Amino acid sequence: MDYLLLGELAINGALVGLMYALVAAGIVLVYKTSGLANLAQGAIAMMGAYLTWAVATGLGAPMALAIVLALAMMFVVGLLIERLALRRMAGQPVIMAIMLTLGLEIMLRGLLPGVFGAAVKRLDVGIPQAPVFVGELLVNRATLYGGIISAGVILVSMLIFNSRLGVFMRAVSDDQTASWSVGIRVERAIAVAWGLAAVTATVSGILWGSTQGVDWSLSLLLIKALAIAILGGLDSIPGVLIAGLIVGVAESLATGLIDPLVGGGTRDIVASVIILLTLLIKPHGLFGREHIERV
Amino acid sequence: MFYRRAGIRHTSYRAERQLWPLPFDRALVALVFALLVLAPLYLGDLYLAGYLLPWIIWSTAALGLNFLMGGAGQIHLGYGAVMAIGAYTSVHLVRAGVPLEVAMIGGGLASAAIGIMFGAAALRVKGLYLAMATLAMQYIVDFVISHVPAISGGTQATIQVPTVRFLGVPIVGNTATYYMALAVGTVVTLFMLNARRTSLGRALAAVREKDYAAEVIGVGTLRYKLLAFWISSFIGGVVGAVLAVCYLRSISPDQFHIELSIQLVAMVIVGGLGSVLGSFFGAALILFAPIVLNNVIGSLSDTFALSISSDLRAHVPLMLYGALIIGFLLWEPLGLAKIYANVRDYFLVWPFRHARR
Amino acid sequence: MTLNRRDFVAGAAAIGLAAPLPLGRALAQEKVIRLGMPQDFTRVYTFVTAEYSQGQRDYFTLINDRGGINGHKLLAEVSDHGNDVPRAIEAYERLKQQGAVLIDPLSTPVARALVPRALQDQINMLTTLSGRSDAADGSVFPYVMPLSPNYWTQAGILVDFFRQQDKDLKGKRIVLVHIDTPFGREPLPVFQALGKKLGYEFQAFPYTPPGNDQSAIWPQVRRARPDWVVFWGAGVGQTVALSEAVRNGIRMDRVSSSVWLSESDMEVAGKSETKGVLKFEACAGGREPKLIQEILKDVVGKGKGAGPEGKVGTSYYNIGVMMAAIITEGVRVAFQKAPNGPVTGPWLNEGLRAITNFTAEGLMPPMTSTKADHQGGGRGRVVRWDGAKFVPATDWFTANQDLVWDEIRKASAEFKASGK
Repeated sequence: MDYLLLGELAINGALVGLMYALVAAGIVLVYKTSGLANLAQGAIAMMGAYLTWAVATGLGAPMALAIVLALAMMFVVGLLIERLALRRMAGQPVIMAIMLTLGLEIMLRGLLPGVFGAAVKRLDVGIPQAPVFVGELLVNRATLYGGIISAGVILVSMLIFNSRLGVFMRAVSDDQTASWSVGIRVERAIAVAWGLAAVTATVSGILWGSTQGVDWSLSLLLIKALAIAILGGLDSIPGVLIAGLIVGVAESLATGLIDPLVGGGTRDIVASVIILLTLLIKPHGLFGREHIERV
Repeated sequence: MFYRRAGIRHTSYRAERQLWPLPFDRALVALVFALLVLAPLYLGDLYLAGYLLPWIIWSTAALGLNFLMGGAGQIHLGYGAVMAIGAYTSVHLVRAGVPLEVAMIGGGLASAAIGIMFGAAALRVKGLYLAMATLAMQYIVDFVISHVPAISGGTQATIQVPTVRFLGVPIVGNTATYYMALAVGTVVTLFMLNARRTSLGRALAAVREKDYAAEVIGVGTLRYKLLAFWISSFIGGVVGAVLAVCYLRSISPDQFHIELSIQLVAMVIVGGLGSVLGSFFGAALILFAPIVLNNVIGSLSDTFALSISSDLRAHVPLMLYGALIIGFLLWEPLGLAKIYANVRDYFLVWPFRHARR
Repeated sequence: MTLNRRDFVAGAAAIGLAAPLPLGRALAQEKVIRLGMPQDFTRVYTFVTAEYSQGQRDYFTLINDRGGINGHKLLAEVSDHGNDVPRAIEAYERLKQQGAVLIDPLSTPVARALVPRALQDQINMLTTLSGRSDAADGSVFPYVMPLSPNYWTQAGILVDFFRQQDKDLKGKRIVLVHIDTPFGREPLPVFQALGKKLGYEFQAFPYTPPGNDQSAIWPQVRRARPDWVVFWGAGVGQTVALSEAVRNGIRMDRVSSSVWLSESDMEVAGKSETKGVLKFEACAGGREPKLIQEILKDVVGKGKGAGPEGKVGTSYYNIGVMMAAIITEGVRVAFQKAPNGPVTGPWLNEGLRAITNFTAEGLMPPMTSTKADHQGGGRGRVVRWDGAKFVPATDWFTANQDLVWDEIRKASAEFKASGK
């Protein structure tokens, strides 16, 4: 057994897992405040990457400015999605809201490649290509930076949850009516959560866009993110961080160990199996609160 | 005018429980059915094989899914995988020499058996979690089918469906395949129409509306949810077999991907949750809107020499598809079936609008 | 929501307005040969379709402006099937009704699904560098026309190129990184069989489609210390494979791809970082070939181009031109054989299966199709990325055809047996 290879896979897997976890963090943000699963998170990440690319190439803005502009635009987009679509779904069964986000996912997947062109776009944020060596171990520089930035953004969103605004959000997620009655503006808390979710999605969209290029396949980040969010417990941001590491390492090791045995790419299956196992053994996830109804 | 409805509507319980109490509705259903049966006589290959046949098959599949989503209130994002199990099982059975009728039932049973395994795991949780579990099922089934050569059929991963006979008729050409699909579709439709009038249908409605209230009045929630899963998966398996034999004629794993599942869910939503008629409407809209739209845009840009970039033009159907789902959920959550009902209500007492209840 | 009269009238008016929209196009009055081009512009094949279709249409414009073939215009009916089988079947039936004699779906899954129909309806189906590799066996697939080197030939040619470079492959290690779909698994048997014959060690690494995350694959590739790496995918999988190869420090002049790698992929992965990458080529790229020059002058130059001028001369554009040229040559031969038509599938079939030594004025290697061989000889070459464009590393050649044909016959026999 090649332990060096395993070590390399584990490190790269953990970093990639952190990058996925950032997408999951957006799902958790929305779920935590509005109790609603956002299946459009992957597509929103894709939209952020497309906007960044469009600002950078279309307007010729420097990359840093483009990123800032895209983040600001996406915050507004998040607010708009909540205001125009999701708020009208209040009181509807949860299945309807899930379907609404799925519809949004499909629409964005058509809109952005339709407007900006379907070919893969290069998004260069200036991460060098040459690998980093830690002793014998090779660490991919793109994932290294991506993982670190993702972890940073997740930590920042944890801090937000401990701020005054975050307290509002948590109150809203506990009981919307009670929050209302003590004077918290419930709509605004939810809207801000959507805005922040869109911002985190954009960051992950940019990071992934710079590693794989920008095209519709960015919306596929959703499945991994969902696996991570469910394993972590849907309403726990630290849970996302830990679950991201677990899923990333598990996927990476599965690719190294199981793929040769079955002769096929097992990456997506690992995510699916993790979802199923979590639901069977610990449906509320590793760190989620036990309020999911079982029948 | 058309419905001629006024005053007392029924005089016995039997009359009240009719599927179509009004003579006009009965006549309309009979007319549509007759048109469907006679379709091969007056429709060309394009409309028979390109539109009507897929419409019947997809509608039947949407009915099966609607039984679960509308009838029992459970979301299922892996219905394509359920159909794949049915399709592959039945095709392999047929190739082993089993008659098609038996193979179809076999496919249905296999789908039901595997579907209920995931269902049992998933039904302990609700809503989003169920959606995720069925999504996981989709990926796992996809993977297994495409990675076991014995199932997928060797290096090319394509299996030809041999020429088979259904009820003594060889299934070749467009007419025979159409009639076979229509026969299965009719049986499923009749089952769906009648299911809600049975104790099963009422129990499922109780579970859908409030599961613990159902439990309180003595309806075993888990049992009925599992039953709904079983029936829905069985129908899915049978439709999968029909899809393989009548329409695809050679099956490969990518025909049953997540796109198919999403498509079916969209059909149910757009058509109307829990509505039999809606499943047909939804299937028609989701299946044909992209095609018609593509043709319309094509002819518009030809006639008026509009310069629409090919990227944009090609993506419009996808946008429309998403926009339809969003639009219906926001403005008419009960779907096309409700719009039809509104039109029907309008005409029910027309032109004596003041006589409306 | 209940319906009031205003809504009702508005709805009825909308339907009434929409109904008379012309759904079909006006039939052209002149003599035409209809060619169906329902292709995937939106889902999986987005990376190639736009450029490919542009090349095809530009070439047909060139031919039609010169008076067509034998007084007949070539009419390409382009539409989008989104890699979705129901939409493809609808398009197919529509084209069949309109009298199309050839259909070019440019998608492996769609081609597979249409094979039984095409064989039954006697409509020629083009499976350019895609579809079933075993369709090269014309005796089993009379109406399925790859007319281009299939994936097995591409693998055979690449391995032969490695042999030419290293003199001997004994004890060497070749690694294949491929997308985990039937398309990606297709070349495996040829690599394995050649490994037994030439004595190299072969290792395959499948990645999950569409291949946007291959971070766990390439460290393994690096650890395997391969002498040659072949990556086999499409679209985003290709660019990610390239970038990951760069990031994992793989020697770029030892990395090679199948035909599906284009200038835009190199741009995404970094033009200078990927210097030295090899790929298989079925027809010359760039703007130098005579046909491309003529298109630039007579079609694009006169503002009749089907797409952005910048795309003219890319690898996929030229493949489109090549396939359109082959179709046109097939039509010409068919007119030679039966000058008065009638223009039907079997009529064109006679022409497409009797093309001899056609080079499209130097765009492609000589191609000869027969009733038995639908591949057309299986010639190609290997080209190398020099940082700005692909330059030929070999002449046109073919290799390992005996082994490829063993595979073709094995698979086509399998198909024949399963059709019963």
